[in-house]
Order: sequence, then structure tokens, then C-alpha cells
Amino acid sequence: MTAPTLQVADCGDAAIRVTARGGDVERRWRAVHHLADVLTTTGITGVYGVVPTYESVLVEFDAVATDHAAVTQVVARVAQDLRHADPAPAAARTFRVPVVYGGSFGPDLDFVAEHLELAAAAVIDRHTAGPLRIRCLGAPAGSPMMDGPAFGRPVPRLRTPRSKAPAGAVSVAGTQAVIAPAASPGGWQIIGRTPLNLLDLDRDPFVSYRPGDAIRFFAIPESRWAEFAGRPLEPDHD
Amino acid sequence: MTDTLTVRQGGFATVQDLGRRGRSRFGLPVNGAADQYSAAVANVLVGSRPGAPLIEITLLDFAVTASRDTIIAVTGAPAEVTLNDQAMPQWQPLLVRAGQTIAVRGIRTGLRVYLAIQGELRVPVLAGSVAPDSVLGFGGPLAAGDTLTLDGPGPAPVRGYRFGPFVPAEYLRVPVPLSSATVAVGVTDGPDAGEFADPWPLLTGQEYTVTPRSNHVGLRLAGATPDRTESGEVLSRGVPVGAVEVPAPGELLVLHRGRGVTAGYPVLAVVTTIGLNALGQARPGHRIRFRRQTLAQAVATQRAQAATLADLARRTGHLFPQASPSSALRRGA
Repeated sequence: MTAPTLQVADCGDAAIRVTARGGDVERRWRAVHHLADVLTTTGITGVYGVVPTYESVLVEFDAVATDHAAVTQVVARVAQDLRHADPAPAAARTFRVPVVYGGSFGPDLDFVAEHLELAAAAVIDRHTAGPLRIRCLGAPAGSPMMDGPAFGRPVPRLRTPRSKAPAGAVSVAGTQAVIAPAASPGGWQIIGRTPLNLLDLDRDPFVSYRPGDAIRFFAIPESRWAEFAGRPLEPDHD
Repeated sequence: MTDTLTVRQGGFATVQDLGRRGRSRFGLPVNGAADQYSAAVANVLVGSRPGAPLIEITLLDFAVTASRDTIIAVTGAPAEVTLNDQAMPQWQPLLVRAGQTIAVRGIRTGLRVYLAIQGELRVPVLAGSVAPDSVLGFGGPLAAGDTLTLDGPGPAPVRGYRFGPFVPAEYLRVPVPLSSATVAVGVTDGPDAGEFADPWPLLTGQEYTVTPRSNHVGLRLAGATPDRTESGEVLSRGVPVGAVEVPAPGELLVLHRGRGVTAGYPVLAVVTTIGLNALGQARPGHRIRFRRQTLAQAVATQRAQAATLADLARRTGHLFPQASPSSALRRGA
């Protein structure tokens, strides 16, 4: 297996975007998260933020304290290291997430089913079939952004984004899946909703999962909503 | 006895700082003052560090009283600033006596006014910042009757002045940004500009109009938009504050400080750090004219502004020796 190469693109006067090319999906993902770790732990002057996602990382910096060339140089050094070592992922945990699918809980389930030429029940089967890997924490509020279920084809985004998707919305788009920890506008297809509470502002970070962990969804009937409502999302104990 | 600020008229005002940096990896936007230059200058003018908590007043009239003598500065959009109904200048330190009403009214051009108060405003901090986060539900607008604790020593006695300005404006030489209903905004090429057919003549050759669906998360601008030549789903990736996207024909979305950290749209251009401050003053109906810049130009302008701020901090440091804004500046606030 070949190691991915890292390509740098300027992203305004205070950021660069580094994209991993080549290699397989897993190694591209590992490469950008490794880069984000190195930038965070070594504390590069002027660098104040990193956003690693699936196969790219946005590096945010203060161009008064550093510049594009200096930050790019660090990236080049990490890229060099990647040829020699493939950083090992951290131990993964699994989180089980109850979901009420369809109806007012998942207003886009029928559209997704139609698009995939599946019955709604088959969409739920695939969404709950196995653990989905969390690739990164994204918008809004540290959403767990996952690899989508084996739907066979990408799911289009909404033509007009919703002005408000509720907290707990369980959505899919493209080849990705996500849960919204907080209410916010959104263009993803909502297929269900979890009664669990993902966000706790009294802990740091505010969410309990990390990239590399996995989420396993399971369907519950609406009648069991209250049983789970407001419970924090915690990993399974092995 | 605790010193306090009491809000007399709430309008739409929040306590802000320069934002919650370093949390984008955890999915949190930076937020903070929409016009960072005006906010930093206001703080420096009262001898505080540039990133100290201060009040951001958006559009609506606002009034407050302090329980002790203090020094304030009002920057940002032009407004009618009064101390007990007597007109006061912006962009310079003002001596305020205990119990006087500080009012900011009539914001007609521009959108946001910054009110810095000497001392430390004690408000809840989340992950190192007081900046409200509308998604997390943290912080929010001040209401009439709210009281905020004001820590730190009061000002050294200022002899010979009852209240109001006490430092000649010539000594401060604060560069005041132009306020206009037509706003020039610098942009550099975005990483995905190549996905659009010849976007620059269109982007820089017309004025875009700020629509009412604009806020601290992003500004939506009406105008002709370049066509995307590539299609297909993009995996979510980190997007910078300032990213210019084309979510639908006829509309540009410019991400501002409350933006979600990840998105799946191509980034056509990126507004410069300086340009973001100008956008922080743009209100619905205002017109935006983009100016294409090289990265070197954008960085040079940003550094020049930082140097101006550092120079101002040195001079106000002589006025308020008990605070040390210039050393705070060197630490990066």
C-alpha cells in the first residue's frame, strides 16, 4: 500500500487546506488526523486551529505571527515522516444510539428510500446494520461525522436547507452520516432522531466521542422515546 | 462593595471578546466580535488588552450606567454617543462619572458599535471565551435591568476634567475605518476557484447586495454568481471564516465568525481578515464590492493594521500605566 501524499492549497490569508491524495481511504484519513495531532501537540507559533475531516485538514493561523510558507514547511516535514511510518489509530470505542426513524422524527426517510429504490424498512436495516466509523467532529457543535451506511449510492443534499434541524437529528448526505448534537440549520436528509443528549457544556470537550470511535444505531419505537430522553451518550463497556 | 454596570436599555447587545480560538477541531466556530479591529481598538483605548470582554451593540439603541468612575471608549459604526445626554466623540477614551448614563443611539450606517469599559467585565466563560455561541445556546443579548460585575481598580484620577474626552485626538491618531453603504471587501483566490468558469470578472465587476438572511454565521449576498463547472458530492471538509461559497445561483454565501467549521461546498474565494471586519459592519441593503488581492497584499495589510494597533497600545500604555496592553499585544492578546 502506498502512503498518501499531502497537497497544500492556500485558503485565504489565515489558513491553508492540506489534502491527502493517493493511498486508500483509511490511510488518507489517518494522515490528515496525524498532521492535525502534530500541529496541535508541537504548538507551532501562530497556528491556533485545525479541522481534520475525512481526507483533508484546514490549518488556521495568525498571519501576523507566522506565514503560509512557515506552516507549509511543517506540513512538508510531516509528509516526509508519513513515508516511513503509518501512524496507528487510537483504540476505538463503540457507542449505541437509539433512533426513532421516519414520520415527524425522520421527515426525509421516504425521500431517501425512494432515491435509493429501497423500502423505508430496508433503509433502516442498512443504517443499523453495523457500526459506522466517526471520521471527525464537525458542524454543528462537534457533530460525529461518520462514513455513511452501505446505501450503494450517494444521497443528495436537500435542495433548500432547513432553517432549523432539531438536536438529535440523525441524517445522511453524500456518503456520510451524522447526528446533530444541537439544533441548527442544515441541508442533510433527516431519517430519524435520537432522544440521547450528545452535548454537555460542563465537560471538556463537550462531546464524549472521538474520531476513530464508532456508532451503532438501533431502531426504537416512538413509545420508548421517554425511556432514553436526555440520557448522555456513553460508550459501551466491553 | 462590588462595582457594577447596569443595563438601562437592552437593544441588541452582547458581551464579546475576540473569540473562542483553538476549538475548531471540536466542531466549534470561533465567534467573537464581528468587527475585530473596532473591538480591539476600543479595548486598547481604555488600557485593556485587545481581547478583553466588551459590549457589542448591534443596530438598536443601548444605554448603561456604571456604579463607579471609569473610562470608556466607543468604536465601530458611527452613532450618537452621549453621557447624560451630552454628545461625545467616538474612537477616544472618555472619562465617565459614577451613575452617568452612557447611551449609544442612532446607528444608521454600519451595524455594530463597540463599548469598552476600563476594568474587567465578569461574565461566564466557556472554553476560554465569553463570546456567545448561538448553536450551543451560550451567552446572549443583554436585557434592561441586567447588572454585570466590573472588576479591577478604577481609573487613576484625571485632573482638570469633569467627564468626557481628556486626551487630544491628535495624540492618539487612531485610524478610523470608513463607514459607507457601499463596502469594499478584499478577497483572495479560494482553493476551489478552479471549479468555476472564469469567476473573477463576475465577482469583482458588480456590487452584491446584502440580504436580510445575513447574520454572524454568514452573509447572503444577492447578485450574479459564477457557474460551477464540476459537479458531484464533496466529502465534508474544514472551511475558513471568510469562505465565499455559491449555494444556489444568484446568491453568494460568505461565512463569518459563527460559521460551522465543516461544509461540503467548494470555496470560490476567501475574504481577507481585514475584509471580514468591514463585512461585520454591513447590514441588509448595503452593497459589497469585492477586490481581488494576492495573499501577499492581504497579509501585508493585516500586518500593517496589527502594527498600528501595537503602536496605539504603546501610547495608551503611557496614559494608563496600571494596565499593560502593549505587553498583552506581544503575547497575541
